[in-house]
Amino acid sequence: MLLALLISNSVGNILVERYHGVPTEERLHWRSFLVKLGTDNLKGAKNEELFVASHKSVYIVYTVLGDVSVYVVGKDEYDELALAEVIFVITSTIKDVCAKPPTERLFLDKYGKICLCLDEIVWTGILENTDKDRIKRLIRLKPPAEF
Amino acid sequence: MAQPLVKKDDDRDDEAEYSPFLGIEKGAVLQEARVFNDPQLDPRRCSQVITKLLYLLNQGESFTKVEATEVFFAVTKLFQSRDIGLRRMVYLMIKELSPSADEVIIVTSSLMKDMNSKTDMYRANAIRVLCRITDGTLLTQIERYLKQAIVDKNPVVASAALVSGIHLLQTNPEIVKRWSNEVQEAVQSRAALVQFHALALLHQIRQNDRLAVSKLVTSLTRGTVRSPLAQCLLIRYTSQVIRESGSTQTGDRPFYDFLEGCLRHKAEMVIFEAARAITELNGVTSRELTPAITVLQLFLSSSKPVLRFAAVRTLNKVAMTHPMAVTNCNIDMESLISDQNRSIATLAITTLLKTGNESSVDRLMKQITNFMSDIADEFKIVVVEAIRSLCLKFPLKYRSLMNFLSNILREEGGFEYKKAIVDSIVILIRDIPDAKESGLLHLCEFIEDCEFTYLSTQILHFLGIEGPKTSDPSKYIRYIYNRVHLENATVRASAVSTLAKFGALVDSLKPRIFVLLRRCLFDSDDEVRDRATLYINTLGGDGSVVETDKDVKDFLFGSLDLPLVNLETSLKTYEPSEEPFDINSVPKEIKSQPLAEKKAPGKKPTGLGAPPAAPISTVDAYEKLFSSIPEFANFGKLFKSSAPVELTEAETEYSVNAVKHIFDSNVVFQYNCTNTIPDQLLENVTVIVDSSEAEEFAEVLSKPIRSLPYDTPGQTFVAFEKPEGVPAVGKFSNMLKFIVKEVDPTTGETEDDGVEDEYQLEDLEVVAADYMLKVGVSNFRNAWESMGDDFERVDEYGLGPRESLAEAVSAVINLLGMQPCEGTEAVPNNSRSHTCLLSGVYIGNVRVLARISFGVDGPKDVAMKLAVRSEDEGVSDAIHEIVASG
Repeated sequence: MLLALLISNSVGNILVERYHGVPTEERLHWRSFLVKLGTDNLKGAKNEELFVASHKSVYIVYTVLGDVSVYVVGKDEYDELALAEVIFVITSTIKDVCAKPPTERLFLDKYGKICLCLDEIVWTGILENTDKDRIKRLIRLKPPAEF
Repeated sequence: MAQPLVKKDDDRDDEAEYSPFLGIEKGAVLQEARVFNDPQLDPRRCSQVITKLLYLLNQGESFTKVEATEVFFAVTKLFQSRDIGLRRMVYLMIKELSPSADEVIIVTSSLMKDMNSKTDMYRANAIRVLCRITDGTLLTQIERYLKQAIVDKNPVVASAALVSGIHLLQTNPEIVKRWSNEVQEAVQSRAALVQFHALALLHQIRQNDRLAVSKLVTSLTRGTVRSPLAQCLLIRYTSQVIRESGSTQTGDRPFYDFLEGCLRHKAEMVIFEAARAITELNGVTSRELTPAITVLQLFLSSSKPVLRFAAVRTLNKVAMTHPMAVTNCNIDMESLISDQNRSIATLAITTLLKTGNESSVDRLMKQITNFMSDIADEFKIVVVEAIRSLCLKFPLKYRSLMNFLSNILREEGGFEYKKAIVDSIVILIRDIPDAKESGLLHLCEFIEDCEFTYLSTQILHFLGIEGPKTSDPSKYIRYIYNRVHLENATVRASAVSTLAKFGALVDSLKPRIFVLLRRCLFDSDDEVRDRATLYINTLGGDGSVVETDKDVKDFLFGSLDLPLVNLETSLKTYEPSEEPFDINSVPKEIKSQPLAEKKAPGKKPTGLGAPPAAPISTVDAYEKLFSSIPEFANFGKLFKSSAPVELTEAETEYSVNAVKHIFDSNVVFQYNCTNTIPDQLLENVTVIVDSSEAEEFAEVLSKPIRSLPYDTPGQTFVAFEKPEGVPAVGKFSNMLKFIVKEVDPTTGETEDDGVEDEYQLEDLEVVAADYMLKVGVSNFRNAWESMGDDFERVDEYGLGPRESLAEAVSAVINLLGMQPCEGTEAVPNNSRSHTCLLSGVYIGNVRVLARISFGVDGPKDVAMKLAVRSEDEGVSDAIHEIVASG
């Protein structure tokens, strides 16, 4: 299960936050935990360089892309390698939508589109689509190219 | 942080200043949402408003019920628009709003229409939205479409239906289970992701049917799986099948070839999953492990941090059970100590500490020293614990390891970290005699500058016990006395006690200690002054060089022998009077803790840890009860009361349990009876006990319950005489006898006439364990050595075939009724031998310690060697008799 997907700006303000199977009262805890993880480790990181951690039976993979930091949290079959796959889809889609690693402003400009893409990538805690070109078509309600 | 290229500073400022959501306000956005109601919809503007709503929701903003309903109704209007981009936004918005059941109906028809649309993508999205907001009744209506969608040619439609199925299985399992044929078909799909989703759903549908899962795995491992994600799932399911098949024989482990084949897959994800599955096989052999370790070793030097992390994490686990298998990776692992990712570095270090050999310790310590300064406390604790185990493994290396610990003790760190270090040093001092002096000095230096009162007092206590036994005890005095000048009252009081211990044990130091203790008489704190006064008076000799009395030593060094919680309870109930508080009245029995509060099994006790705290004892309650019944007044002191033994099944007419109270020459059965029939009153309730199978017991009195109304528990007692101090055993059969009278439930009136009746109860046994008090010791080794081997009895016993080693250990513990010490009641999985340490007080207040070594011989035959030490020869023999006859 993909428990959480969180995108923040460089100072830790939340831009996107989606949880699945995480009780509401635990969400705040996760948010501050992830943001702290980012502030502690992401300084000076290269774009899309992956960071990984585990906390109890839960895995966390996170990275930085332009001005935004992306975190994904998973457990069971969504271990560090599966999460790396998920985060790769997310970052490549964001780059695609924004045409480059986004500044915060650019990210917010494309906010609606990014939300649609995330909706195609992760739904109810399950990875649904992994190909950025297909996702690009899906958010415009176009069938996948190979079909 | 990497910044995108910006040509001019001005541009950058503009960007930062004008965020599209700058000053966004919920109220204003909700106002804006009225555009959804416009007769002429502006798709662009509507999309912008939806984006703002999404932004608010994603920021954690919540809408009130009224607001959410209003927005939801407005959004449904947007189905009129033909604009594709807007429609996609609408789908997302409805999912985010998750409308309540009574509102859903508004969009159902629109969504049903979309679900049957010719446009595939409308279908896929409508399925996802419908499944998100639907309930059971609606689901049966759309089930037919969903089943079709699962096998739809368009992979997006099929995936949407399958993922919805996974979601719906939680709420409507019986409906989703009907789709298994379609899902089975989808597992064969050519589209990779469809296969992945179908496999996940099919497994969830069948997860409780072992045979079906096994069949699924068998067929898929022979066929082709397109998606690496699906292949990973298959590997997971395969390991589950292997685990459940229970076969651990080498050579014919089912599916091993499949797992091994996956190690050559082109996707790293699959290779890793297979390697991990192999390392986690039950009773994995080194031949099976080798190929998995080889690929993990390759991953250690991968450029991808995720792979390095995954590999080192898995190897760390393997190192716990098969350290030799991992040694080949040590060189690669050493280079990971400098890995930028601290999680990877910590895992590498702790793995190395588990697999390293004696010659590599020094080199390793040098590398770790550099690394410690830049990791967080939680990682440091892991490293400290690993170093502690390493030192116990290679005691000859204590010097460098102890130095390392003392160095890090001086550095900055929080309480938990410092406590871990101190605990480690204490354990090393206890277990490695050569390390004692240097270890104590390190601790002395630490308390010179220790900010944690708890640690200071614990160290002072430990110094008081170990310091006087060293070659030059006087060198510690300065450190201890400095505390009296420089610390808070708690630490000062501890220091006073420690000084007194030095004075008591080292006669030559006594005069000087007296001088120091006298100075403490002027302390500003009551406790410190009280302690100083007490010790000056007890040490005796008025400051001259004289030998300290044995009694004084016992007082200062003897263990309290009482659970502190019991003492606390007794002190609280003590009412100040002419009669002084009698410490002998404090119950000694440690009540077993409720299951939920128990620590994880196998957890090692910490170095300075006190014996486990006991909850409030019920023994004093029993004592009070007996002292209030004149018939039992001459039985003397209650030795032990058992836990209640149920004598009736649950939910019978009369519920009875019995507590066995053991006195020196009497045994009393207390029957707790409850009448569970509302229209009955029981009178003259007694238990008729047949003791023909308990020859040494003679019934002396029976105390009936006069009246036992509905649901009000009452107690009847039956007392027996037995030879004094003898642990007599026997079996007693019980019959409840009473007069039953009808009660009118409406008026509560009781009939005058009653009928005599009987009710058969289960048998009750008095066993050897009833004569043993569970009394733990905090340091078994010390207790064992100080007991001496004068009355040691050792013998070996065959226990015959047993279910498992753990079962045999627990049976022997129960037979003896003694307290397991230092967590030795927990037997690690798959171990072939185990040593269990037990402690107790036998009837007659004789302390008993037992050290039992178990071993498995042949397939299931368990043998044990029992060594018993006690203060009485007869008791040591008695323990052996219990085992021999049990």
